[in-house]
Amino acid sequence: MNSISPNLVALARSGLVRLTDVTKVYQGGITGALDGVSITVEKGEFTAIMGPSGSGKSTMLNLVAGLDRPTSGTIVVGGTDLSKLGEAGLARFRRDHIGFVFQFFYLLPNLTALENVLIPAQLKGNMATGRGRELLEQLGIPDVADKYPARLSGGQQQRVAIARALINNPTLLLADEPTGALDTHSGEQVMELLGGLHRGGQTILLVTHDAKLATRNAARVISVMDGKIVDDARLESPERAPSEVIRVRSEETPPAGARRAPETK
Amino acid sequence: MSLKYGVLGLLKVEPLHGYEVKNRFEAMLGGTWEVNIGQIYTTLQRLERDGLVRPVGERGDRGKLLYELSSEGKKALDDWLAQPDSGPQQLHEDIYVKLLLATRIANGDLQQMLARQKRAFLQRLRDLNRLEEKARRDGRIDLARLVRGALLHTEADLKWMDELASEHFGTEGAAAE
Ligand SMILES: Nc1ncnc2c1ncn2[C@@H]1O[C@H](COP(=O)(O)OP(=O)(O)OP(=O)(O)O)[C@@H](O)[C@H]1O
Ligand SMILES: [Mg+2]
Repeated sequence: MNSISPNLVALARSGLVRLTDVTKVYQGGITGALDGVSITVEKGEFTAIMGPSGSGKSTMLNLVAGLDRPTSGTIVVGGTDLSKLGEAGLARFRRDHIGFVFQFFYLLPNLTALENVLIPAQLKGNMATGRGRELLEQLGIPDVADKYPARLSGGQQQRVAIARALINNPTLLLADEPTGALDTHSGEQVMELLGGLHRGGQTILLVTHDAKLATRNAARVISVMDGKIVDDARLESPERAPSEVIRVRSEETPPAGARRAPETK
Repeated sequence: MSLKYGVLGLLKVEPLHGYEVKNRFEAMLGGTWEVNIGQIYTTLQRLERDGLVRPVGERGDRGKLLYELSSEGKKALDDWLAQPDSGPQQLHEDIYVKLLLATRIANGDLQQMLARQKRAFLQRLRDLNRLEEKARRDGRIDLARLVRGALLHTEADLKWMDELASEHFGTEGAAAE
């Protein structure tokens, strides 16, 4: 027992996703898109990645997805060192372990919603029609199964894309600005769905520019700038009384010091 | 200011006792603004003195006195409601002074100050999100609306800090003025 537990602890701590000193320099790029990034993401975490345009967020997600290879450094996902995989191995890794949702959905226009959802399963040799329908139902759009993408709203298309990302039960769900092309309401719905998946145990890595939406579900916010991680904030989730969170001010309100008792005590 | 008109507005709905005014005002503000009962009575007395409200029925035990809006009170309330809030933008937060100063004197620490402040605001967003969720669950629509306003304000502050963070700070901040 004693000889096993340290290993278990080490395994538990090793993280589902581990980037170690990852650098990416694109061909023709003058400076690196990623510059010495190290992070560990635990199983079941909902992590948001934020940062200005061009800071390297999509690059980071693409590398974790095995869509591209780092210039240096190692990326381990679910115990697999991606640098050890050849092209075929990488394709299999993506198919079996990664669900990816993009800003612009990328549904195939000549396939119905359900057919789009089933593509990754078919690549594995599964029909999975039942699960496909189930997912559309779970995401609140059972009635769009036989419609073509052009007939769907942006929010519906993104939900179809989420169903497609989930069809193979991915180890990791990656979402690159999934609400970026949606109006406020559809964006909130999509984020609510991601929150539900997370509560069901799904590990999610989300890139977003919307801090309001990010902090709904993500208890961890990683800030990236110029290819470097500049902050890694773990947020708390205590129940707070309204007056601990918001104070409506007025000239008649006594000076702040007199009302701040809970904080200054 | 808004307490005075808050009282007038609530009395326009129906005549109320002082403690009812307090309870309804606090409920409308979702528990984010606690008013003591003394403030309410002082406000009612002033409004009565100015002819904007009047007691209904017997003047007896003050706690049991019912107040209603006078026609002058109705007019004052309508005028206030019709008047858009067009004064200067109020920036209450310390951070505006703090960060502007920091661009001048904090040198290398500015980015770290910004990171710490951003972290605090992200936590605030998280708290606000949880509060909004709870308010909606409990059917407290006024509170949910207030929280929404606070979320958007905090988001704006975060964006401002992002702009500061992406500027290149040398001496130009101070030199430009
Ligand atoms: N395929 C590519 N070839 C060359 N340079 C690239 C490529 N993809 C990204 N870059 C560059 O790498 C840097 C990081 O890009 P990346 O797309 O990761 O940024 P981002 O944080 O996702 O930005 P945005 O918020 O605008 O999506 C940028 O300077 C970008 O121009
Ligand atoms: Mg991007």
